[in-house]
Amino acid sequence: MNALTQWHIDGCPGYRAIWPDWKNSTRVEDLPFLHVGVFKKRLWQTAGAGVRHQRVLKSSATSNAGNSRISLDERSSTLQAASSSSILRDALGGELRPLIVLDHAKSLLQRGETSARIAAALSLRPLASALHFVMAEDPAGPRLLWDQIAAVCAQHDHVRVYGFTWLLWQTWATAEIPDTVRQVLARTRIQFVHSGGWKKLEAQAVDRAAFDRRLIATGAPNSQVLDFYGLVEQVGVIFPLCPAGHRHIPRWALALTRDPWTLDCVREKPGMLQLMNTLSFGAPYHNVLTEDIGVLHSTPCPCGRAGPHFDLHGRIPKAEVRGCANV
Amino acid sequence: MEYFQNSAGTVAVALPFALSIRISDWESLRYTMVRRVDPAFTRDEWAYLVNFLHGDQLARPALLSFGRQGGDPQQLVSLFRPRPTIALWLPNNVSLLGPLTLILCSLTGAQIHVKSGSRATDLCQAFVTYARRQLPSKSDLQHYLSDQVTVANFDRFDPRNRTMAAEADVRIAFGSDASITEIHALPHRPDSIALPFGDHQSEVWVELAAMDDAAVDALISVFAIYGQTGCTSPRRVVVIDGTHDDCLRLRDALAARWPSVQREQTPMHVASQNVLHHQLALADGWQSITVDQNAAVLAAGSLEQDPLRGAMSLAIVSATPEAAVASLPANIQTVGHHLRDPSAAHWIALLAQTDIKRWVPLRRMHHFGPIWDGGNFWRQLFDEVQIAT
Repeated sequence: MNALTQWHIDGCPGYRAIWPDWKNSTRVEDLPFLHVGVFKKRLWQTAGAGVRHQRVLKSSATSNAGNSRISLDERSSTLQAASSSSILRDALGGELRPLIVLDHAKSLLQRGETSARIAAALSLRPLASALHFVMAEDPAGPRLLWDQIAAVCAQHDHVRVYGFTWLLWQTWATAEIPDTVRQVLARTRIQFVHSGGWKKLEAQAVDRAAFDRRLIATGAPNSQVLDFYGLVEQVGVIFPLCPAGHRHIPRWALALTRDPWTLDCVREKPGMLQLMNTLSFGAPYHNVLTEDIGVLHSTPCPCGRAGPHFDLHGRIPKAEVRGCANV
Repeated sequence: MEYFQNSAGTVAVALPFALSIRISDWESLRYTMVRRVDPAFTRDEWAYLVNFLHGDQLARPALLSFGRQGGDPQQLVSLFRPRPTIALWLPNNVSLLGPLTLILCSLTGAQIHVKSGSRATDLCQAFVTYARRQLPSKSDLQHYLSDQVTVANFDRFDPRNRTMAAEADVRIAFGSDASITEIHALPHRPDSIALPFGDHQSEVWVELAAMDDAAVDALISVFAIYGQTGCTSPRRVVVIDGTHDDCLRLRDALAARWPSVQREQTPMHVASQNVLHHQLALADGWQSITVDQNAAVLAAGSLEQDPLRGAMSLAIVSATPEAAVASLPANIQTVGHHLRDPSAAHWIALLAQTDIKRWVPLRRMHHFGPIWDGGNFWRQLFDEVQIAT
């Protein structure tokens, strides 16, 4: 991390301006980080030997602050693809399966830009024997092409489905699935994979158990649901929920939690989650202070995986800004 | 009828109530308010309202507009009639402007229809509900608030906007320039008047030689309550005829005294956003620090740098008076001063070249009164009849 930090200090003037006096850190908590919000305000890039910036990854703007824009370079992308593939293989198994993506095929075609939704789906590509985009282009709202889904499932007894959490709920879990399709699905083992947060579902008072139950009920026995957490600012390093309900940190990443008021590191109690990885060369996303609240644990996890893990408690609570000018 | 005396003679004001009773009714509410903060308000907001309802404060609009109470009806020069109906549009983010304007308008006896922001907690409704509940049921003010005042929450497309505009004698609108233009474009009576209070910015001008701990504390207080989101909150501090080192000294003095002035815990998301804006300020070349609890960002820099955008970010720059004037934003409203002699002729001459609406001591920046944005708006809530005998 010291070498990577020095790489960004040398190659990214904005980052260097924020941490002008940094020298090698002996503790991880002293490594310079960027607040996640800075990626909504400007495009950060690190120049250096062998870095070729390829495209910009855009987050879905869930707040008024706008989209995050992440510049992806070739070297980091390769590493990040290997990373997400490895993490997902551990959770889903390594066999290649057809991947049904709740998105439009044309989402792939935007030149130079990729949405966070499509990037999350494509993190599953190394485990996919084929990709099937099953979202209809309907101005009335998101709607699935059930005939296409049925056709894929009719040919395979085991598939994977990826969608943003709220999309999976809205278009699949609570949809009126045609009876003929329902019969096909009931013969197909489905691994539902989702990410993207619960904010919209919390408003509808949908809890995780109900979410999982509704989805699993549409597939054959042994269907499963996997929720993974990740930042668009750190694609490639994702945190699936383990069977014991925790999120494990891979060997090539680190997590800290900080007190929001002092920024001191805390353990075993809620704090702002800080995520680090060794896979980001094109811009200083290697060390990001998020606005998510987590609890970091160092005790062994009942699921049997080794190493530190954390629980995610959602975004920091926000209240409206009072004043009179911002109208 | 109430009579007032000023240098021109006696002024009669046809108030449909006794002004002294209305003021004493409001004052009586203060005694209830000091016991407990209504949960819709912060402690600072509640304290501000309690102070605002002081009798002397409430007597000021009439004093400034008409003169001292009393006078000889034989020497009458003017008769003022309150305009019967006021429509009041409030901004979308929560603001004390609603209750404050309503209180001042209540001193005319007009029927008031308030449209509060559709996307915000409605402090105006909260205050009216509180006052209706707490005032004695037979009080004049309780009847007035129950019978003559309505507060409703709806959006800009709601047909009630048209009704409000069409029926009002006075249209008071707070908001962005675009929303005010939209409101005043609604069909209205040709003889009705419009009082627009658009989007404004404010700043503080200080001379370092005049700054003591009390002034530093006052600056913290006026900034901390709303940060950049208040139209009367300073977005920057100009150290007049200072140096960059003076800016750094003031920055550090503010940071040192911050914990003793602002004792409430900073909301977690505000602390987080301040970390963000501190980093952005550093990246832009500001010499930025955060204060205790990450409660605010204080950044020393120069007039030429891009402004700080964080809600709780305060820029500190140095400038000559002329350069400070030249760099004023087009929508400048209040300049809070802490100068050795703010009423000196050279300051007044300089002010005359600007669009500054309020030139007030630093600690009075947020004070809302009958004169606002360069006009005596309270007086305009009345029709004037010239009397000559």
